[in-house]
Amino acid sequence: MAQDEFLLINKPTEKKYFAPAVSRRTAAIKKAKSNKWYKLFSLLVFFLIWQYISNLNLEHNWFNPVFLPSPYMVLETGYSYLMKGTLFIHIGESFYRMISGFIIGLIVSIIIGVMITSWKWFDNMVTPVLNLIGPIPVLAFLPMFLIWFGIGEGSKISLIAYATFIPMLGYVTDGIRNTDPHLIRSAISLGATPFQVFTKITFKSALPNIMTGMKASLAFTFSALVVAEMMGASSGLGFIIIDSKNWFKMSDMFLAATLIGLEYTIFHGILSALENVILKWKKEGISNAVED
Amino acid sequence: MGVILTNVFKAFEEVEGKPKYVLNNVHLKIEDGEFVCILGKSGCGKSTLLNLLAGYLKVDAGRIMVNGKEIDGPSAQRGVVFQQHALFPWYTVQQNIEFGPRLKRRKDARKVAEELIMLVGLKGYEKKYPGSLSGGMAQRVGIARALANDPQVLLMDEPLGALDAMIRHNMRCEIIKIWEKTKKTIIFITHSIPEAVYLADRVVLLKDGHIEQDVRIDLDRPRDIKSPEFQEYVDIFEKGLTENEAGLLIAE
Repeated sequence: MAQDEFLLINKPTEKKYFAPAVSRRTAAIKKAKSNKWYKLFSLLVFFLIWQYISNLNLEHNWFNPVFLPSPYMVLETGYSYLMKGTLFIHIGESFYRMISGFIIGLIVSIIIGVMITSWKWFDNMVTPVLNLIGPIPVLAFLPMFLIWFGIGEGSKISLIAYATFIPMLGYVTDGIRNTDPHLIRSAISLGATPFQVFTKITFKSALPNIMTGMKASLAFTFSALVVAEMMGASSGLGFIIIDSKNWFKMSDMFLAATLIGLEYTIFHGILSALENVILKWKKEGISNAVED
Repeated sequence: MGVILTNVFKAFEEVEGKPKYVLNNVHLKIEDGEFVCILGKSGCGKSTLLNLLAGYLKVDAGRIMVNGKEIDGPSAQRGVVFQQHALFPWYTVQQNIEFGPRLKRRKDARKVAEELIMLVGLKGYEKKYPGSLSGGMAQRVGIARALANDPQVLLMDEPLGALDAMIRHNMRCEIIKIWEKTKKTIIFITHSIPEAVYLADRVVLLKDGHIEQDVRIDLDRPRDIKSPEFQEYVDIFEKGLTENEAGLLIAE
């Protein structure tokens, strides 16, 4: 290599590098926090665009303004419900049905999941049946549930629980089956009884899967909630939609739909927060394939 | 007392109607407090032997006695250290080590764990989760966790196999230190000849399912890897491993 060529390659660079104030990782965590505000901002933009389109429509008369009420009108409707004192009754009723059905479905799926993974004969007996009825849409079962459990809360909550149970079950059994056998071996060698192996190893190992399942099943829970309330209820957000359809109250429909969306978002957020607390141990170690 | 294996047979499959023995009529007697290395190439049955001792597998025929009692499944009396450390990822270092004593509802679980953390040199890492530990540190936790139960026998399945050369050497010295302090019977599986000669009181060479050699290492500790006596032992086992075979064995 010629001398001048060598000098060219090793020429001191103009740019100087200094020790950073924070690590790249800390900076990434900070950035992730600011992402939360961006997400909130996106909701704001959505409502503003909706309002703007409604306003334009009022001016230019593209279609009947009744078909697309503005967010402001929806808010006004909400306010009138609030004044009548029925807003929180409807939200509360829906929330009560959703949470009861969700929790019952979750608990039953864990119990059945444990039974399926513990006893081969139970697996052989139950799984083919579940594979047969699982894919049938919940809506198809509503009339049966109404006849079996009456028109009260029983039929609604059981339908919601069923809609949660079916998708949850796969997540529970997969989570339990994927437990690393080395962990089970080491627990037994440390003196754990079969019950302790389940509570301290298998269940904890399945928890990430169960949390994912809870978030994935939530959408099914909510659709079952709305279906149940639309078909045979005198309260709740689903009831508002079907009732306002009969009276052609578009704002009320939009109010109920928006509230369902909001309730879903909030509940999903609660589950995510819970996941962060319960699965804290997953946060350490490698978090992404390549740092960006 | 100690660990006694008599006529141990173990097969996993049949070839042409006959069982293909991974362990074929193995006899072995290990004294209390002895440090024994089971040496062999992969597929020689050394891991199967350890799994039998741990109780994860059951003998097809024969008997394994530990302290006068025939083994029947895994037990807290026989601590196991795994090659892939097998720490519980949802527990911190401290909780992992406390696991055994807590199962027994021992009041001093915390104290036991703290002492072991000092012994394996992990002070300051108590609250860390295994996911954030390096291989060597994780293996130290694995050893401490097995020791926390105060087992009679410590079974180690290539615990240093996944570590790099520098850490391996440090860990060997520490295992010797721990063994001298705790006076446990240690059965240590390895495929590295120098490692076996460095660590063990006695090296058992396993080949095609039977014991090929059973040699006592008469060297004072700490042993010098570079000394001619050390090399002599290494040569013995190299010969034992490659006998009747073409090609040379490349040590480590």
